[in-house]
Amino acid sequence: MSRTVNSFVKIEGRMRWEAIWILSKRELLAFARNKTRIISSIAQALLFLFIFSGGFFSLDIVIDGQSINPTAFVATGIIAMAILFSGVFGGLGIIRDRMFGFMRELLVAPISRRTLMTGKTLGVALQSLVQCLIMLVISISMGFFGYDLNLIWRTLLLIPIALLFSMGVVGIGLTISTRLTDFQSFGLIQTFLIMPMFWLSGALFAFNNVPTFMQVLMMINPISYGVDIFRFVILGVSFFPFWLDLLVLVLFGAVLIVIGAKSFSKMEIS
Amino acid sequence: MTENIIEVQNLTKIYDEGDVLAVDNINLTLKKGEIFALLGPNGAGKTTTISMLATLLKPTEGTALVNSHNIEEDPDMVRKSIGVVFQEPSLDGDMKAWENLELHAILYGMSKKERRQKIKEVLKLVDLENKAEMYAKNYSGGMKRRLEIARGLIHNPQVLFLDEPTLGLDPQTRRKIWEKIKELNEGLNMTILITTHYMEEADVLADRICIMDHGKIIALDTSENLKHKLSGDIIEIALEEIKDFSTIQSLISELKKITGIKDVKFGAKSGGGMEDFDFKMPQGMKGVNPQMIQQKMQEIMTDPKKFVRAIKKFPMAKNFFSRAPLHARERIANLFKDNTELLEELPKNMKETILKIHSGEYKEEQKMEQPILTVSCENGSEQLPEIIQKTTTFDSIKIKSVEMHNPTLEDVFLFYTGREIREESSNRTENVKKHIQMRQLRR
Repeated sequence: MSRTVNSFVKIEGRMRWEAIWILSKRELLAFARNKTRIISSIAQALLFLFIFSGGFFSLDIVIDGQSINPTAFVATGIIAMAILFSGVFGGLGIIRDRMFGFMRELLVAPISRRTLMTGKTLGVALQSLVQCLIMLVISISMGFFGYDLNLIWRTLLLIPIALLFSMGVVGIGLTISTRLTDFQSFGLIQTFLIMPMFWLSGALFAFNNVPTFMQVLMMINPISYGVDIFRFVILGVSFFPFWLDLLVLVLFGAVLIVIGAKSFSKMEIS
Repeated sequence: MTENIIEVQNLTKIYDEGDVLAVDNINLTLKKGEIFALLGPNGAGKTTTISMLATLLKPTEGTALVNSHNIEEDPDMVRKSIGVVFQEPSLDGDMKAWENLELHAILYGMSKKERRQKIKEVLKLVDLENKAEMYAKNYSGGMKRRLEIARGLIHNPQVLFLDEPTLGLDPQTRRKIWEKIKELNEGLNMTILITTHYMEEADVLADRICIMDHGKIIALDTSENLKHKLSGDIIEIALEEIKDFSTIQSLISELKKITGIKDVKFGAKSGGGMEDFDFKMPQGMKGVNPQMIQQKMQEIMTDPKKFVRAIKKFPMAKNFFSRAPLHARERIANLFKDNTELLEELPKNMKETILKIHSGEYKEEQKMEQPILTVSCENGSEQLPEIIQKTTTFDSIKIKSVEMHNPTLEDVFLFYTGREIREESSNRTENVKKHIQMRQLRR
C-alpha cells in the first residue's frame, strides 16, 4: 500500500509566482463568469440576513455589558459565514477538476505540487473575500450597522482578517477533496461538517445566551473565533479577546494548510 | 546527441492495490522523428507505460530516458520535453480555448511575447484560430481533441504523447485527426508516441508498431514487416448455425490435411470493443455528455458492486446486457468470478447466463450460433476450391459466405496472441497473481 501512495514522481523545486497567479486567476474567473453562483450565493445570504435579523429582533444581545443591535449582530455572522461556505466549497472544486480530467493537465506540468496548491488556495481565498465584501457592502448600504465613517477603515481592516480566516477554511476543503473521488459524499460533508460548524459558530446566536454544553462546543469550533473576530472588526465588540481570536485563526490556518498540502502532495491521479 | 529520443529499460509497474502487473519488464527505443504506436487491447498496459514516461507514475522497476533525461531523477526536464494528450479530455470547459492554452504556456514558464506568438501558431496549426474565443465546453469532440493537441505543442516539446487520440470520435473526425498527426510528423519532424487499440489507426499512422498485451511486448516492427511474417492469405468462412459440434471438428481435421494450409481456427463471430456497444441514448436526454456515460460505463465494468447497483437502478440495463456482444458479456461475467455471492442480487436470467459463462458452456453455444472458420494458407486462390469442396461434403454444414484477404494487423495480433484483440482473457488475474508472487519470492 505504501508504495502505491507514493508511486508518482515528484517535482521538487521553487514556487513559481506566475504559475500561482494564473491558477488563482482561473478560480476568480470561474467565479466571475458563473452568474448563477454569484446570484445564488448573494440571494442566500440576503435571505439569511433578513429572516434571521428579523427573527431575532426582539432578543437582547449583550456583549461586554454593551447592548448590541440584533440585526448588526446577525449580519456580521452571515458575512463570516460567506467565508466558511465559499471557502470549503471552493476547496472541494478539486474534485471537479479531477472528475473532468483537468487535474491531469496540471499534474503533468513542470510545476511543484506546492505551487499548484498555493495557487488554488489563494484563488479560493480571494474569491471568498470578494463574496464577503459584496455582502458587507450590501449590509452597510442597508444601514444594518448604522451610518458611520469608521466603517471605511473597518472594511479595509477586514480584508487581511478575512484572508487569514479563509486559509484554514480552504485547507478543510482541500484536505477533504483530495480524498474524495466523486460528488456522492457532498451531502455528507454538508450535513456533518459544514452545518454543525456553522450553527455552532455563534454566527446566529450569542455565546452567552446558550447552555454550557453548547458553549463548550462553540469554544472547540475554530469557526467561532473567525465569526468573533469579524464582530470585533465591524462592531468593535467581541466575546473573546482579540489576541485569542487572532492566535486561534493563525494556528487553525497553519495546521490545515499543512495537512492540506500533505494530502495534496499524496493525491493520486485516477 | 543520441539518435534515440526515448530509451526504455526493463520498465515494470505493479499496482499494489489489487495486485495488478500492468507493465512487465519492457524495453524499447524511439527514434527521432518517427511515429511509434503502442497497440493493444484495453488493459494491455499502454496508458500505464505512457504515464510512467510522462512522469505521472513511478516505475516499480527499471527506468527510462526521455530526451536524455531520466524520468525519475529529472522529471522537470522530462515534462518540458514532452507534450501529452490524455485519453480522457483534460480541458477546462469554463475557460475559453485560448485561455486554456495561455494557462498551459504560463505553467511551462514561457514569457508573454513567446506565449502570444506560439498560441497563435498552434491554433492555426489545428485550424482553430477562428474559434479561440469560444468556451472549451462548447467545442465538439474533434475540436476538443485538436485543441488538446495544440496545447501539447505550445512549449515546443521534443516528443508528443497521444493516448488513444481518436477514442470516441466519429470516422470522419478520426481521419481528420490522423491527417493532423501526419502533418505534425512530416512538417515539424515531431516524434510522436501514440497508443491505440484500433488496428487501422496504427496501420495508417505508425512507422513502427509495438504490440502489447498483458503488459508485455509481443511484437515490434513496421506494419509491413509484421504482416509479411504471416505470408499468404486468410480465408474466412462464415457458416450457418450448426447442431453438432463433432462434425466441425472432423471438418477442421480434414481441412488441415490439404497441402498449403497452415492453420485452421474456429470461433464465434466477434463483435466490437466496449466502445462500439450499441448504446442508444434515450430521447430527451440530449444534455448528457456521451463521454461521461462512457466513463461511467468503464467504472461499472470494473467493479461488480457498482455493476449490481447500476442494474438495480436502471432496469433498461438488463436489455442492454442481453444485447451485448459475447466478449462484453464475458467481461461482465469475469467481474463476478471472485464475488459469486453478489450474483444473487442480479435478475435470474442474467445470473444463469453468467454462471453458464463461468462454466464455459456459454461460449460453445455462441460458437454454434454464429460459427466462423478462419483458414490461413500459403496461396488462397489455389487452395480455396479444395477447401470449399471439402466443406460441402459435410451435409450438415452450410456455407453462408466466404471472404479472402491479405493478412491484416488483426491477423497479426491473432497470430501472436491466439485471440482477437478485443477479447478479454478470463484467467488473466490468476496469471498475474502467480507472476507477482514469483517476483516477490525473487526479491
